[in-house]
Amino acid sequence: MKRYGLGLIFMCLVAVPLTNAAELTVFAAASLMDVLHEIGARWEQASGNKAVFNFASSSTLERQVSAGAPADVFLSADEAKMDQLAKQDLILPGTRETILSNTLVVVVRKKSLLSLTKAADIAQVSSLALAEPETVPAGIYAREYLEKIGFWDALKSKVIPTENVRAALAAVEAGNADAGIVYKTDEETSKDLKIAWEVPASEGPKISYAVAIMRATSQPELARKFLAWLSSPGAKESFRKYGFLLPGGHD
Amino acid sequence: MIRPDEWQVLRLTVVLAALSNLLILAPGLALAWVLARGDWRGKSVVETIVTLPLAMPPVATGLILLKLLGRRGMIGKFLHEIVHFDIAFTWRAVVIAMAVMSFPLLVRTCRTAFAQVDPRLEQIARTLGASDPRVFFTITLPLARRGVVAGSLLAFARALGEFGATIMVAGNIPGRTSTLPLAIYHLVQLGQDAQAYRMMLISILITFAAVWFGEKLVPRGKEAGP
Amino acid sequence: MSLVVKVDAAWPGFRLRIDFAAEHGMTGVFGRSGAGKTSLLDVVAGIRKPLQAFVKLNGYVLTDTAGGIFVPVRRRRIGYVSQNLSLFPHLSVRRNLLYGSSDGEGGEPFSLAHVTKLLEIAPLIEREITHLSGGELQRVALARVLLSRPRLLLLDEPLANLDAGLKAKIIPFLRGIRDEFGIPTLYVSHDPMEMVALCQNVLVIERGEGWQLRTPEEMFEQRTETVYRLRGDL
Repeated sequence: MKRYGLGLIFMCLVAVPLTNAAELTVFAAASLMDVLHEIGARWEQASGNKAVFNFASSSTLERQVSAGAPADVFLSADEAKMDQLAKQDLILPGTRETILSNTLVVVVRKKSLLSLTKAADIAQVSSLALAEPETVPAGIYAREYLEKIGFWDALKSKVIPTENVRAALAAVEAGNADAGIVYKTDEETSKDLKIAWEVPASEGPKISYAVAIMRATSQPELARKFLAWLSSPGAKESFRKYGFLLPGGHD
Repeated sequence: MIRPDEWQVLRLTVVLAALSNLLILAPGLALAWVLARGDWRGKSVVETIVTLPLAMPPVATGLILLKLLGRRGMIGKFLHEIVHFDIAFTWRAVVIAMAVMSFPLLVRTCRTAFAQVDPRLEQIARTLGASDPRVFFTITLPLARRGVVAGSLLAFARALGEFGATIMVAGNIPGRTSTLPLAIYHLVQLGQDAQAYRMMLISILITFAAVWFGEKLVPRGKEAGP
Repeated sequence: MSLVVKVDAAWPGFRLRIDFAAEHGMTGVFGRSGAGKTSLLDVVAGIRKPLQAFVKLNGYVLTDTAGGIFVPVRRRRIGYVSQNLSLFPHLSVRRNLLYGSSDGEGGEPFSLAHVTKLLEIAPLIEREITHLSGGELQRVALARVLLSRPRLLLLDEPLANLDAGLKAKIIPFLRGIRDEFGIPTLYVSHDPMEMVALCQNVLVIERGEGWQLRTPEEMFEQRTETVYRLRGDL
């Protein structure tokens, strides 16, 4: 028994620092996962600074930040979540920007026989994967679009809600849903899917990604450097490569 | 074989589970003994409260913890404002969630182990002049050794796998609160199945190790009782 | 010594009403199994706490339910050898013996050397409890209580599980203890022969009721079921 107790204590002592202050903690929407990994890696190469990412739906991240989670920077897939944080005075004044936009697409598996030539055809699907349509930006955008074209009521009962947009993508890939509505940038990360229908910019909702430095950050200077890096030509090229739209070139 | 980020998750999970185990050991054993031997007013109330985390949905327990320990909660607010100390969404919340969820398992298993020790032995020890603490440490605990280690291991395994309460009160923040079960869930949510499977394998391996190690610690053949 | 015990207690399915005083040496407690003998010992030791009880030893009140007095078990200095001996199975003979006495140097006649010599268990000291025979265990249990220097000895059927040969061997030890240590003793047994061999007076308990006899021989004159059975009349 003594050995057991000693073993426990040993394990605790192995807890070499669990947190590392020299890193920047970035909370970012799930749809930014691949592009930010690339941009973050380049930043580390160029400056030696490391960004640690926490990817989840913007709604989950907003909730975490509200409750005191230690984020230095927050990248949200819609302005609404950022507004909520602003209302709670959690944003460092003067640091908020709109940095990206995106397009919605309806995706299906490559082998799917579903053919959508016009918006109305969406009503044919028997199951539709969306990020949570009430809270997650991607789901909200999708719902707003479907409401606009008048098919939300018909499709409501066929919706499979997921925790974030990437999970919706995964659901279609796995065959658990016939189709899904995700960002165009998400579809491009997937090998097994194809776009059945792209929502035209003029008809779709206004998608706007916001970024800001959190007031509670202990590293405002490092955070500013990261934000500057996001606007650098190299980063912009990465965003474009992955299919994101940059403000000024769209809308 | 194991990548650095996976290693970090594994280490975080094991260390925090060990910490939570140490935290609940003394109060858990004490409570188990008192429940096994005594008969006192309010005993059934205490028994029920101790069993609650076992019976309630883990996320509900997590929500209660969040309400208490979050920055706006009763305890959390005081700590944040007066001592500039945060609990929710830090590793401390993970340890607390693990401790709360595994506590009932420790108490119940140890209680059974203590109850199986012949009470006569304890009484005779008292006639020989031993105080209650001495009776506990020299008679009860040694004779209930196997059960106590089993209970502790069970609690440890439960802590390793704790999810519902943890995700509520600690979230899933890489490097700080991202434990193995949380990481697996999150990876699946992000569509990163391959990585999720790797984590799942790691999870199976450490659980296996924990149980195997436990069997080694207490050799068979030394049973409790007269 | 003087021991005063008054108990009026009831447990599910059982009653115990005792009122007796013992003055010297070894007092036998005689009765059939289940008559209440062990319960009486438990009350005297403080292990059982009935609603109404009074125990006074050598002028010190140990239990007085009416007056709200209850001395904790560990402070009573009462040596108890229970029926199943209750030796600690995970400790060696030595650690069992010394459990109630930190060093075994209690001064004659309570030293480890003297007691182990008297009970002829000196060669067994370093053994494990689990490796001893019935008779050896009995003597170790007796030695253990002696080493704790008790003010009162409670022996519950100390010879119950032994064959006649072993009994004959241990009775002299008990006599030796009685004579050398002079500790007042309550000796429980259902065997009247042991009573006659060892005790100065006897308390008879029949179905929870007790009464005192002047001499052990009076046991055989009792008009009780127990005695009738003994004499083969039933």
